[in-house]
Parts: sequence; structure tokens; C-alpha cells
Amino acid sequence: MSENKIIQTDTLIIGAGIAGMQTALDLADNGKQVLLVEKSPSIGGKMISLSKVFPTLDCASCITTPRMAAVSHHKGIKAFTYCEVKSIKKVGGIFTAELIKKPRYINEEACISCKRCEEACPVLVKDEFERDLGARKAISIPFTNAIPQYPVLDMEHCIACGACSRVCPTKCINYLQEPAHYTIKAKTVVLATGYEITPMDAKKQYGSGKLVNVISPLQAERLLAPHSPFGKVVRPSDGKIPDSIAFVQCAGSRDKSIGVPYCSRVCCMHSIKQAQLLSGSLPLADITIYYMDIRAFGKGYEQFFQNTKAMGVSFVKAKVARITEGEDHDLVLRIERQEGTSAPEEVKHDLVILSQGTKPAYLAAPEQCEGVKLGDYDFINTPALPCSPNLTDSEGLFVAGAASSPKDIVDTVQDAGSAAMEALNYMKGKGL
Amino acid sequence: MTQETDSQDPQRNEPRVGVYICHCGGNISDVVDVEAVTRAVAAYPGVVLAKNYIFMCSSTGQGLIEDDIKTMGVNRVVVSACAPALHELTFRGALQRAGLNPYLYEHVNIREQDSWVHKQDKKGATEKAIKLTLAAIEKVSRQKELTPIQVNSEKSTAVIGAGPAGMNAALALSANGLKVFLVEKDKEPGGNLKALGKIYTTGREAGELIKELVAKVKADRNIELLTGTVVESVSGYVGQFDIRLKQDGGAGRSLKAGALIITTGFKAYEPYTGEFFYGEDKRVLTLPEFNEKMKAPGAAEYFRNIKAVSFIHCVGSRQTEGLHKPQADGKVNAYCSRICCTSALHAMQGMLEKYPHIQAYDYYKDIRTYGLKHEEIYEYLSKKGAIFFRYPDDALPEVKAGDDGRLSVKVKDILTWNEEVEAACDLLVLATGVMPNDIPGLVNSLKLPIGTDRFLLEAHPKLRPVEIPNMGIFIAGGAQAPMDVQEAATGAKAASAKASLLLSTENILLDPFVAKVDPDLCDGCEICVAECLYAGAIVMKDTPKGRKAEVLEVLCKGCGACAAVCPRRAINVSGYSLDQLDAMVEAIAKE
Repeated sequence: MSENKIIQTDTLIIGAGIAGMQTALDLADNGKQVLLVEKSPSIGGKMISLSKVFPTLDCASCITTPRMAAVSHHKGIKAFTYCEVKSIKKVGGIFTAELIKKPRYINEEACISCKRCEEACPVLVKDEFERDLGARKAISIPFTNAIPQYPVLDMEHCIACGACSRVCPTKCINYLQEPAHYTIKAKTVVLATGYEITPMDAKKQYGSGKLVNVISPLQAERLLAPHSPFGKVVRPSDGKIPDSIAFVQCAGSRDKSIGVPYCSRVCCMHSIKQAQLLSGSLPLADITIYYMDIRAFGKGYEQFFQNTKAMGVSFVKAKVARITEGEDHDLVLRIERQEGTSAPEEVKHDLVILSQGTKPAYLAAPEQCEGVKLGDYDFINTPALPCSPNLTDSEGLFVAGAASSPKDIVDTVQDAGSAAMEALNYMKGKGL
Repeated sequence: MTQETDSQDPQRNEPRVGVYICHCGGNISDVVDVEAVTRAVAAYPGVVLAKNYIFMCSSTGQGLIEDDIKTMGVNRVVVSACAPALHELTFRGALQRAGLNPYLYEHVNIREQDSWVHKQDKKGATEKAIKLTLAAIEKVSRQKELTPIQVNSEKSTAVIGAGPAGMNAALALSANGLKVFLVEKDKEPGGNLKALGKIYTTGREAGELIKELVAKVKADRNIELLTGTVVESVSGYVGQFDIRLKQDGGAGRSLKAGALIITTGFKAYEPYTGEFFYGEDKRVLTLPEFNEKMKAPGAAEYFRNIKAVSFIHCVGSRQTEGLHKPQADGKVNAYCSRICCTSALHAMQGMLEKYPHIQAYDYYKDIRTYGLKHEEIYEYLSKKGAIFFRYPDDALPEVKAGDDGRLSVKVKDILTWNEEVEAACDLLVLATGVMPNDIPGLVNSLKLPIGTDRFLLEAHPKLRPVEIPNMGIFIAGGAQAPMDVQEAATGAKAASAKASLLLSTENILLDPFVAKVDPDLCDGCEICVAECLYAGAIVMKDTPKGRKAEVLEVLCKGCGACAAVCPRRAINVSGYSLDQLDAMVEAIAKE
């Protein structure tokens, strides 16, 4: 058991996705010391794994990577990755957080990120970054532009063959590494814990996640990314380039049966964007979006939607009642149109993207983060609406991004700037 | 304030160029043969090394550059990658961290201007990447060290517009210790909030919210609230803006501020006379007028006699050319106004809660109740028996006066398979969209960027959402895009964070890419002065050597118009000298 290190900082930020990174940069630029904690082995959050982002179609890597680099280069920001928060308590106006740094099983000070361990490792496992569409080694750097560039040894799949240890030029592999414990003393805390998508198997009618050619929007993002696992868009069952692709909207939002009655706010636009990218890379494919309402409400979104229609993507107002598998893992969608005709019909598609909804990733027990309350649908409660949406029920503890309600990237970045301002002014007001 | 200094270090004057070609994760390397480009430029005179990497902007990529500067004696850097707007600053930072003057850098765009536009011609794209990179090598070899221009800054911000965005921005800035001038054209602050009743989703009374905000603003010693005041013009530059105001009654006043936040808000779309009978029949109201009516004295009496109320969505939003009447500028409002779906449904909910006997009808294209707890309003209405009709893009609802003296709305209803449905009502509410307030004084004097939707245009929606290219000017709230109170407050605070940062340092640093006149070559012809786009940036001065042109650095934007017209090559823009440009053209034209 390693000793408990104590670190003091101005602001502790939980979550290093786009919300956490932007809050960290805005605070550190304003002269504050920030400790940014991330549970994954790399900072960057969901955004770094996206293909291109609406409505500008910037490639997501191109605008996330520099943010990540700026975080890692900033003198005022210290990033702790692969780290879990055990508890946050407020005593005497100061927050005390207990962190556990999970073992990567390498000595980070000695690692030179040469990737030889990764090359030598004989074990292939599903790659989480590629949303299981590709493979990685049991010891690997999480993805090309990950920060930091340290490999993680996946003990669950390691066969203890010693190959990595033998090739490591700095002898930095340590199979016996223990978790490290840290105590953080911070004047303010920002929760930027983001969202998760609703589970693939939430709906029996849509195959409970067992239909091989029904994929999640995050998998579709990987297929469309410039450095995608296959270099082209193929469907999982047989590697065939799909001729007919369907998006099923609200497959996890506006749906009481799975406990998500609210609108997830990003799915209309990400499907429209993916449809546009698909029609660019597969000009001959038929692309259909089955929807309830198209919610292209943000700046420039309506025009983006109209352009996508003009590119030949079909928008069909229909409820998809059921998805089943036909021959060759083709998919049969039983739909009821809410326009044109009324009778239910069955339509075949090669590939289906299920537009799952978003739900809060932060589901800690209240005692884990003292004073913070959960509000509607378990998003972090924000009692000071409408003018102070970043305030929580705990004074000095703020929320940024999708942790308080579903948000797209544009809205998240503004929300993060606002959270940074609240934290700055709180410290100023308290003379901290 | 010199920008060009010949370094004392003689090694620095002998160019040793490092060239880095980015794959951009396939965005470039799928089209451009990056290995071929690397080989072709590696042998070029002055180049000491050439490398390529999957993401040059990543930490590892930037690390390559820093290492080569430190260990290989690289003293000039070229990165061939994406648009400079994205990453020029990123790489200048890498040079700076490695101890090199950050301006000894050239960024080549081989993505937007090459791989993305020449996907069908990989060979041609590769050749183009080589040519562009060689030109950059020639340019950077002639590059001198530059230092940023320093500007003294006023420690105050002028916030223009005292609606929810402006008041929140002012309070946030003041809390951070800055002096704020809050300028409002109306007699009372509050903006569009003044017209609202209960606001979604908190159910708070808008009137109370304004009272609370105004009380805070008025009690704040750092904030000077100037109501009944419009901005006539703004001159000056970041750190030193001169703002000319005109107050009700004609009095003028001038202010000095280091930064500006523009929160001038939006106004409701005004239907033209005859649009759905608006202006021709008293029973046709816009949504703001309906909200007023709900609050007005005698409302209970009025609504008691109403049997049915219809709402039509997307009036002044999501318009299509040919179908809708354009505005004075010839454009239709193609955008979605974001807030009107929830606002209209929320107003309808308020009506049904008070007057449950009323039958509500709703004519829409898509119901966009996107926010947390917005959907509940939609659900409430469905449960209370409001009837929704969905009309197609190309067939607007038709309004007419029925034989019984009531209004009637006819629609081709998509939800009942394009059946024509007609329903009578006693009141018709047009869920009007929003348009930005007119601010010609600000737009013209500051040359503010305006989008095709007429709203102020941010520098980048994700990277710089509250900034515009003009340094020191920030935007927030309804002047930037349609948004609700919460979203306006969020944007206002984000903008305040940026303004605070700008004014937190002693001096503001500006890019040194400004024009410089060589007084020995200048013959005082004054052609440059006539060509200058920025008033006062280049002026004639009498000197011991005669009448010469002189540049005021802080006003110069480095556009190069003066350099282009000077017949004696006496003017050069730092970092873009005529010699550099000549060398670039030669490198590109060379066979």
C-alpha cells in the first residue's frame, strides 16, 4: 500500500472531456492552479473519438487534439488520468477529495512511449476506443493521439508471457504495481462528468443489442473517422459496404419505457451529420432517417438539415416498432409511417444506426460527493436557474457540460466558460 | 516597440529549417503522398530535416518540433497541415516552449486547400503540397524574429445591451473586480424579459427576475448603468476603445473601455400585414402580444369568452425562398429560432392552466422542445387535449374568416396522411421567430462580422464561441443567435471569462504583422494613405527628411493594401515582406 500524497490546488475538475478541458483552460489562463482528473487513460472524452462535428464539419481530432495539447502544456494544469474519485467532502470551506490512481503496470517516469511493448504483445482484445470495431493489444497506448502517451497493461487479458517486459528498453513494466492514493485539497470543484449513451440492449423491440448490423452512433463515428478501423464504412457482419442504411431516431430518448422521457438534444444532428458524411463516402447508398421531430435548433443547424435533405437523404416521419434479422444478417424494420400511408410496413436495410439517447455519467451515491444533489432524471441538480446554471447545491462546487443536462459541443463549450467564471468569482469573493 | 530584430546569435541568422508534414489522421495522407513530400523537401537548400507524423498537433507531434529545435539546431519551422486558422498558434507555442522566437514559423495549408479539394487527383495534390511547402521554406528562411506589439489597457469593459445577457455579464465582470459600463437603449433594463410572464422551465416570474437582476446591478459600485443611451460609434482598438454615446434628450458622452461585450439581443419577427391575417384582424396576435394579453387587466374576462385558440409555429423562422416573403434585405429567415416551440407551448400551457375550457390547436412543422423539462410541457398539452397538426414545408396553413364570424385555420395535415383539416378558433397566435436587433452604429464602426442569418458571427462555434476576429470584442446572448434566458446567461458569463482574462495582464499583446515604412525609400506620394482601409492606421508626417508615411501600429491590421500600391517598395508588412512573397512566387513557378 503506497503512502497517501496530499496535493493542494485552486480547482479540482472531475472529467477531462471537452467540458472539463475547456473549464480547466479558462481557469488556468486566468491564473488559477487546476487539477484535472479523468477516469480513462487519456484526456479528450467522447469528442476525441468523433469523426467530424456539426455544423461546421471540422474533423473532431483537428479541434480536440490541440485542446488536449494545450491542457498538457499549460503550466497551471496538472492532469491525472486513469484515476477515480472515491469521495469529495467539504470541511472548513475547503474541499477534500480522495483519489485512487489505477495501476497502468508501467513506471510512468521511465516510459518513453516507444510502443515496443505494444508491438511485442501477442494478445489481441477488443479496442474500446474503436467501440469494439477494432482490436488492440493487451498492453497498448489507448489511441494514436492519446494524452498522456503511456500504455496501459490490461491485467484482465494479460497472459503474463513477459514479452512486453523483455522488449522494454527502459525496463518500466511493473506487473506488481499497486494503486496510488492521493488526497486533494481544493478551493473549488467543477464536475464535468459528461454523459453516457443509453444501453444498446435497452429495447427488446430493437433486438436487445444482439443484432450484429445494428450499431451505436459512437460506432458509426468510428467508421466515419478519417483514421477509422477499416479505412472505409463497412458493416460488422460480413465487411460488406452497405447499400442501404437507416437511422432510427429517439431509440433511447423521449421514451418513458426506458426511463428517458426527455429529448437527448444531440441525436437529431449527429444522425443528420453522419448521413451527410455517409452520402459523401458512399454516394450510391440509400440513406433513410426515421424520426419523430427533427430538432435542428442550434445556430446553423436548420440550414445543415436542409442541405442534407437536398443531398438526397430521405427523412421519414415514422415510428420504428421492431427490428429483426433477415437473411445474411440484413435487417427488417417494421415501421408505421406518420405521413403518406397509414398501414404498417416492413423495410429492409443493410445497416442500422440506433440513435441512442444520452444520460448522465455521474451516478455517484450522494455520500460520495457531499452536498451535491441529483435533479431531474439524475442529472446534477442546478438550483439557481436560469441565471446561474453552473451552481449546484454545494457552494463552491460547480457543474459544467452534459452533467447537468444533455448538451452538444457548442453549448458545452459556452457552459464550460461560464463555469470557469463562476469558480473564479467564487474564489475572488471568498478571498480564496 | 520594435518588431524586427536581427538576433545577436549568429547561428540564428543562418536558416536551419525543420519541415513537418502532418497526415491529419488520413485527412491529408489519404490523398497526398506524405512520404514523397517529405523526401522532396528534405533535400532543399536550408532544410536540415523533414519529417511526417499522423497528428502534428498532438502532444507527441509538437514534441518532435521542440526536440529538434533543442537538439538539432533547427531555427526555422514549417508545418504543412490544416488551415492556419486552426493551428498556427498551436505550433508557434511549440517554438516558444523550445526557446525559439515564435514568429520564425510558417504554416502551410495542405488540407483545406489541397487534400480536401483534390481528392480525385492524388498525384497533382502531392505535387501541390510539395510546391506550397517549398514556398514556405523560402519564406521562413527570410523571416526575422518579431516581438508582439504591447498595448496599455483600460481596466474597464463596456457591455452594450442590458437584457439578461448584458446584466449577467456586467455582474460577472464586476465580481471579478472590473469596472463596467452597462449601456442600454431603453429607459429600463431587462430587454425582452420585460415582456414575459412566467418563464420556462423554472416557472419564475420574469418581472421578479428582472427586479432581482436590476437591484444587483444598481447596488454594484463597479457598474455604471446608462439607460436611454445608444452607442453612436466606437473607435480605437483593443485596450483603448473610445465609445461615443448619445443619450435620450440628445446629450452626448464618451467612454473609454479596454474591452467590449455586445449583448444587444434580438427582437420578435414582425409579420407583414396580411400574413395569416396579421394586422388585418385583431384576433391575430404574435406570441409576445399574446403574452401581454395574458398579463393585461381584464384578461380573465376576455379569455372566459374564448372557445378555441390556435397557434401557428415557424412564423418568421425556417422560411423557404419562393414561398415566404423576404425581409427588406431580400433574404428570408431560413434559420430555426430555437426558442419559439417551447415558448409557444409554454404560453399555451399557461393559458390552459388558467382557462381549462379553451380548446387549443397547434400547427407545427417539428416540435423542438429540446431542453431538459421542455418535453414535459408538450406532454402536458397532449394530455389536456390540445390538438396538434403537422403542416408540410411547402403548404402553409390557410387562415380565413369563417361564416360564423370566427377565424378558421385550414391545413394539409401530415399526421392524418395529408388530409385537409379545418378548425375554427377565436384567437390565432403566431409563434413568431426572432431577428437580431439593428445595431448599425456598432456594426459599421467596428466592422463586426455578421452571418447569413444576420446574427453576429462568432470566430468559431466550438473553439472561440464568444469571440469574433476583432480582438477585445466579445459577443453573447440573443445578438449572437436565438437563445433562452439560461443560454444567454451562460454565454454572457463565458464572454466575461474571456474579457477578464484579456484585461488581467498589464499589457495586451498584439500580433506584430503590421506595415512598416522605410523612410529612406518613401517619397511622400500619399497613395498608401488613400488606400488604407483603417482610418488613421497610416498617416503623413513631416520629418527632417521630408514628408513621409508613418504607420500607427495598434490601428494597422496588416492587410497589406498600402504595401501593394507603394510604387517604391517602401512599405513591407512584417512577416509578409515583398522579398518573402517574391521568393514564394519564384519557388512555386520554378519548374
